[in-house]
Amino acid sequence: MTGYLVRRTGQMVLTLFLIITFTFFLVQAQPGDYASFYVLNPDLPPEVKDQIRAAFGLDKPAWQQYLIHLKNTFTGNLGVSFGNFPRPVLDVLVERVPRTLVLFLTATAVSFYIGFFLGKAMAWRRGGLFEYATTISGALLFTAFTPAFGLMMIWAFAFKLGWFPVGKFLDPLVWRGADVSANYVFGNMLLSAAAFIAFALLVMLCLKRFGRRVPSVAAFPIVLGGALIIVAAWALSGIGGLALDIVKHMVLPVATLTLISFAGTMLLTRNSMLETIREDYVMAARAKGLPDKLVRDRHAARNAMLPIVTSLVYSLIFAIDGSVIIESVFSWPGTGLTLLQAVRSEDLPLVMGAMLFIGMLSLLAHVIVDVLYVYLDPRIRYQ
Amino acid sequence: MTDRHDPLLKVDGLSLSYQTRLGEVQAVRNVSFELARGSALGLVGESGCGKTSIANCLMRLLPDNARLSAGRVLLDGQDILPLAEEDMRLLRWRRISMVFQAAMNVLDPVYRVGRQIIEAIETHGVESTDTAARERVARLFRMVGLDPQLMERYPHEFSGGMRQRAVIAMALSCDPDLMIADEPITALDVIVQDRILRELKAIQQQLDMSIIYISHDIAVVAEVTDVVGVMYAGRLVEMGDTSDVFRAPAHPYTAALMSSFPSVSGERRPLTGLPGEPPNLSDLPQGCPFHPRCAYATDVCRTQYPPQARYGSHWAVCWHPLDATMAVQS
Repeated sequence: MTGYLVRRTGQMVLTLFLIITFTFFLVQAQPGDYASFYVLNPDLPPEVKDQIRAAFGLDKPAWQQYLIHLKNTFTGNLGVSFGNFPRPVLDVLVERVPRTLVLFLTATAVSFYIGFFLGKAMAWRRGGLFEYATTISGALLFTAFTPAFGLMMIWAFAFKLGWFPVGKFLDPLVWRGADVSANYVFGNMLLSAAAFIAFALLVMLCLKRFGRRVPSVAAFPIVLGGALIIVAAWALSGIGGLALDIVKHMVLPVATLTLISFAGTMLLTRNSMLETIREDYVMAARAKGLPDKLVRDRHAARNAMLPIVTSLVYSLIFAIDGSVIIESVFSWPGTGLTLLQAVRSEDLPLVMGAMLFIGMLSLLAHVIVDVLYVYLDPRIRYQ
Repeated sequence: MTDRHDPLLKVDGLSLSYQTRLGEVQAVRNVSFELARGSALGLVGESGCGKTSIANCLMRLLPDNARLSAGRVLLDGQDILPLAEEDMRLLRWRRISMVFQAAMNVLDPVYRVGRQIIEAIETHGVESTDTAARERVARLFRMVGLDPQLMERYPHEFSGGMRQRAVIAMALSCDPDLMIADEPITALDVIVQDRILRELKAIQQQLDMSIIYISHDIAVVAEVTDVVGVMYAGRLVEMGDTSDVFRAPAHPYTAALMSSFPSVSGERRPLTGLPGEPPNLSDLPQGCPFHPRCAYATDVCRTQYPPQARYGSHWAVCWHPLDATMAVQS
């Protein structure tokens, strides 16, 4: 296992190096540089332009810039964002990355759950209206053009119905006079969510370990109780209203992402289930006299899950990539929107930083899935 | 209470068909037999003769396109065919368990082997605590010749023979009255086959359990059963005490099956395969369905289905039984 981890880490470092290299020269291949935005400004004398170039090191040849950048990156210095001068790139990313992660992890978790649930139900009771309705609506949503669909969601739920805000991260009117920053509130929200997930996992693990005969339904009231305590704590904290404002802004983008992506998991689950249903161990489970629901969930769906978990990594990476589109449509100030703005303004350090983060997240997702796979399928052991 | 001498299982006029795109296929036609408590019955025949359909019917694990057109299956005098699904579910494994045909994939790859057996024990409440259930599995493992520590292993860590033993242990886990062994050893190598067969026989006698062996291998059935039924095209064509049937088969099909398997202990003789192909169930020939492949077929075989006749301790359905002198019309 150690050998595997060492090899794996080596591969990841190499991949990151390739990502940095390709991104760097891709951005360099764009015409102009950051200073060229000021070329058209008649108020700036040429000496000042040269000064700006020299200050950012843009006067050096590309290969020299590349080597300096490489050295800085591997020593942990991501540089200063040109566009947000003088904020360091790391500072900008630490603010923006969690917003993207929360959006996409929530959407992926929800769509995976819905897709898996519907998919296994479809395979178990084949034929009939339910299967047709879910297949057709799922396929329609899955193939929808994302920006158009996002705009339709905004039009329907924000503009016509007025249930949710049109976009952005927060409503300035609500936050006027607030004595805490949005990042502080959001950071605490993240901590609460992490604590809740850890609590829920712990409860389920304990029930599984100590009480085989306790039905898994027993976990539900305990977990619900935990959720209520967290919500109550927020309500009493005085900044609950501000947190609620952020949550409101999250609903539409998460819903849009979920709707366009759940069908992938659903159709995959259905196909995978149709394979496992024919397996002898499902027949054996039925012969053993297990209740229908246990045969489906414990045996058929549990085995059908294996290929779906692989697809989950790809959908996660795809989702983070797609953040550029979704965040633009919803004006959500996350990594995707930051990356888009940075690319358009030739903010080289910020582009590099954002790409580095996206690359690291993809690699991390791969590792997590590999570990998850070992846990899900006892036949797999990495050497 | 039921009498010890009443048959445990009585199958009466069972008929089963499958709806397919090519029309209705009659897989089982009017099959009747009885099985005494503690005895072993064998069903032999070629692929597609309806053996496995009967097994699935006894467990009521039939595919959606199957239709039971007639018959009763009495377990201790109770007809299990009209039972509600939930009642049938509680009866499965507790009263009738099964060792499956393709035992290699019967164990779920993602759970420990012991866990999968405990699952059945828990479902039927055979043991009240987890510890007791584990002890029971350990006992079963020893009975089938497996180290009890293996229950913590996963199926892929087992060899073929070990898996089959585990599957047998699983079938025994709820003390069933009847165990159906559908090709229990077909996928194993010959040495393991013989050993497992002998162990099964010993376990059956030790637990006083009834077993139905389903096999295409006449040697297997001859070795371990008390009564044998030979099936052809969904019908029982000959049935009786195993030793009598194989000593003096009346139906030419039984004789043909016997001569297509080599005998280790018997005399040396050339093997003769069975000519022709297994019958097409959706388009059976008129009269005796075996007549196109039968060396003794005459005009009467081609037009009329033969009557059932008794020959000593067994009966057969044939116009020209091989040892006609023994024939006693029933």
